[in-house]
Amino acid sequence: MPVRQLPENVVNRIAAGEVIERPASAVKELVENAIDAGATRVEVVISGGGRELIRVSDNGSGMNSEDLALCVERHATSKLDSEDLLNISTLGFRGEALPSIGAAARLSIVSRARGSDAAHEVRVEGGEKSTIRPAALSEGTRVEVRDLFYATPARLKFLKSEQAETAAVIDVIRRLALARPDVAFTIAANERVIQYPLRGTDEAGRAARLADVIGGDAHANTVPVDAAREGVRVRGLAGLPTFSKANSLSQYLFVNGRPVRDKVLMGAMRGGYADLLHSGRYPVAALFIELDPREVDVNVHPAKAEVRFRDPSLVRGLVVRALQDALSGGARRSATTGADRLVSFARPQSAPGYSSGWRGSSAPYRGGLAEAAQAAFETIAQPSADARANLAPVLQADLERPLGAARAQLHETYIVAQTVDGLVIVDQHAAHERIVYEKLKRALNENGISTQILLVPAVVELDDSDVAALVARAGELAKLGLVLEPFGQGAVLVRETPALLGETDAQNLVRDLAEHIAEWDDALPLERNLLAIASRISCHGSIRAGRRLKPEEMNALLREMERTENAGQCNHGRPTYVELKLFDIEKLFGRR
Amino acid sequence: MKVTIERAQLAKSLAHVHRVVERRNTIPILANVLLRAGKSSVELKATDLDLEIVETAPGEGKTTGSTTVPAHMIYDIVRKLPEGAQVELQSASDGAQLQVRAGRSKFTLQALPETDFPDLAAGEMTHSFNIASADLKRLIDRTQFAISTEETRYYLNGIYLHAIDDKLRAVATDGHRLAQAEIKAPKGAKGMPGVIVPRKTVAEVQRLIDDAGEEVKVELSATKIRFSLGNAVLTSKLIDGTFPDYGRVIPAGNDKTLVVDKSEFMSAVDRVSTVSSERGRAVKLALTDGKLTLSVINPDSGSATEELEVEYGAEALDIGFNGRYLLDILQQIEGEKARLKLADPGSPTLIEDMEAAGALYVLMPMRV
Repeated sequence: MPVRQLPENVVNRIAAGEVIERPASAVKELVENAIDAGATRVEVVISGGGRELIRVSDNGSGMNSEDLALCVERHATSKLDSEDLLNISTLGFRGEALPSIGAAARLSIVSRARGSDAAHEVRVEGGEKSTIRPAALSEGTRVEVRDLFYATPARLKFLKSEQAETAAVIDVIRRLALARPDVAFTIAANERVIQYPLRGTDEAGRAARLADVIGGDAHANTVPVDAAREGVRVRGLAGLPTFSKANSLSQYLFVNGRPVRDKVLMGAMRGGYADLLHSGRYPVAALFIELDPREVDVNVHPAKAEVRFRDPSLVRGLVVRALQDALSGGARRSATTGADRLVSFARPQSAPGYSSGWRGSSAPYRGGLAEAAQAAFETIAQPSADARANLAPVLQADLERPLGAARAQLHETYIVAQTVDGLVIVDQHAAHERIVYEKLKRALNENGISTQILLVPAVVELDDSDVAALVARAGELAKLGLVLEPFGQGAVLVRETPALLGETDAQNLVRDLAEHIAEWDDALPLERNLLAIASRISCHGSIRAGRRLKPEEMNALLREMERTENAGQCNHGRPTYVELKLFDIEKLFGRR
Repeated sequence: MKVTIERAQLAKSLAHVHRVVERRNTIPILANVLLRAGKSSVELKATDLDLEIVETAPGEGKTTGSTTVPAHMIYDIVRKLPEGAQVELQSASDGAQLQVRAGRSKFTLQALPETDFPDLAAGEMTHSFNIASADLKRLIDRTQFAISTEETRYYLNGIYLHAIDDKLRAVATDGHRLAQAEIKAPKGAKGMPGVIVPRKTVAEVQRLIDDAGEEVKVELSATKIRFSLGNAVLTSKLIDGTFPDYGRVIPAGNDKTLVVDKSEFMSAVDRVSTVSSERGRAVKLALTDGKLTLSVINPDSGSATEELEVEYGAEALDIGFNGRYLLDILQQIEGEKARLKLADPGSPTLIEDMEAAGALYVLMPMRV
């Protein structure tokens, strides 16, 4: 077959596939256009999961009839002033979205330029552009997309269910809404209407918008993050580890206001939460990274979900550090959801006394004779009700501390402490485990790691790229006790391993590391291996549940918790204590 | 099958064979011991598919025949029977059960037929020699501690037994340390292939060797090895792998020689290690003229030092070792004194037994 130039409508359809992958990507492009046009109010209506109709209306600057005619042409944009692709401050710039949508759907754009007294409309159906006609519109632009993908049936087949597509559209708008609290969003999908009212661009505004997006309890369960280094600034809100979720959908990442799903950043986020979360739990966070547009390449991916930093390790380091700082600062806080859950759980569903009243005896029925005889032992087997009341005087100074003064130990497991405005229940084992763990971790950092030199150095065969990545990090790995060097083509030679690991499988250790580095660009597995051992030791050396503590010991534990970083959760991410404010207790008794 | 055996005899034989049977099995018959009654003896056999043990015990066979029953259970039963009891084993006519009777106790065990019992086809053995029990025990005792437990380098999970010049040599290493012991090669061992004897087999030979009498017969081929130890015959697969060229890691040019009293040194290492809490904590050795200072520093709890008078004339040297490894090796030293040949803090150290020729140990230092 001879080589030939493809006709333009085919080219457009191929390109459309890259930019417009599903209804959500069309919505993303259109809403970004609205934001770039300076709108303060954006309304999105979709039906049929966006397949039947997507309508985006804004109150932005609008377009005059010439612009309208040009905007649906490929590579036509108003957003790139000069030809400097390195200096991009708008969300869009490629000039591909509208023609791509036009190539795959029935597109209609009505727009009225600000200050102009007339609106115009242009239509594109399956790549065929209509003439410009006068139309009616009070301000801004209204884009309607009907029958998306009717011209590319292959794409249509791969769409998910209507619900899944609707959810994807909402997710896209959520991300954009988080980035721009100063724009009001309204989404009407099927019967549902979601509104994000106008908020300020300051800290309070961002927090309010985050609460709008994530849910009401987000505000109380997040800590602000703010750090800057060498012209890169990271701001936002990080969820407390105890407020984690089972999927990564509540992680919102922005680079210069652009929502991204970038591997470097996601890796950094994991790094920041490294030993605070159990595997399988994901943090809730919204992080905004701001840097000179010239330091980041957003033109990596047609949908712009990935970016490339000129100095990824700087950004990574900054994010990890910022998260760790923010979280250790807020460490003495455990999720308030704990108290909320407790209150809702404890609230009597019906008045006590009624519950078993008419059934006669509330004592459970006992079967055979043997069981009756056995019953006598039950009280012995029950946990002791001994509450170890406060024998030591309660000091006012202790009461004023965050975790208060210990008043009692219940079931030899829980310490009940009184604070000025509430009470705190501490799980003694979880709390002490964390304290011991943090100590070990500090010792590892401060004293360095002793290494066992190998008698027979282990040769580990790897891809060349993995070898390069490992060797580039040899210094960092050596600090963690793993000494390796390149060994000819596609192999590394392991000379020393951390003594803490004992007789270890160097092959697997290095392979895991290489894979992890390739994906996340950090050496977390090794660190995690070491800390896993540290945490096993710490579990061993911790006060167990079931041990009686003297009042002095309880107070000492509480003070130690206040001094320890991340004392709010145990090594597995469970809370170590729950705080009940007087307010919560009053709610329990219906006083509020 | 019907046979009567003295309790002590049966208990002893079962004690030997039941250890080969793994506690958890996916193939039910592997949990069983095979009992085969002859006219005047009973043969007991157990296997884990890599290792097979056959032991013969005297017994009075009324009807010959065979069956298999759960090994750990019958061992527990026989163990708990009173001293001096006569144990009668009788299989049911359909072979589905075995009755164990002794005095007024009676047990019925579920049995599986012998036909399903796997046989570790030994094949032809190419080499055969007799070795003094004491010699074999020494080869094992001196090297066993250094066998690797790490599964990926499977070829280190055993003792490498091979003939070299006129010696029979055993070597084991786990990548951190190495142990070597040798004896004069027995007749018939010359020209044998180098074989890696798996850890479990080594442990079983070691347990059986005390009851084995003066000599042990060893037969081997490139894939199997068989030890005849008294009444027990142990047949094992060999580890199919290449043992590393261990000669290269035995240092030849270490010029700093330290001679130290073994028991003094061991006690000192043990004492200073008390302050280290985590495993793998290093013991530092500081060597100066005629003096050895051991120290351990544990930033969490404190530190310990101890001085020893030693024979040392080379230039001063500081070196760290894993205390556990150091003790493991010193324990193997038969004489009163140990000789350490050192080079520098990053190179292997050679430890020699001044009385037992041929035994040597290599230990890699730790970096602290």
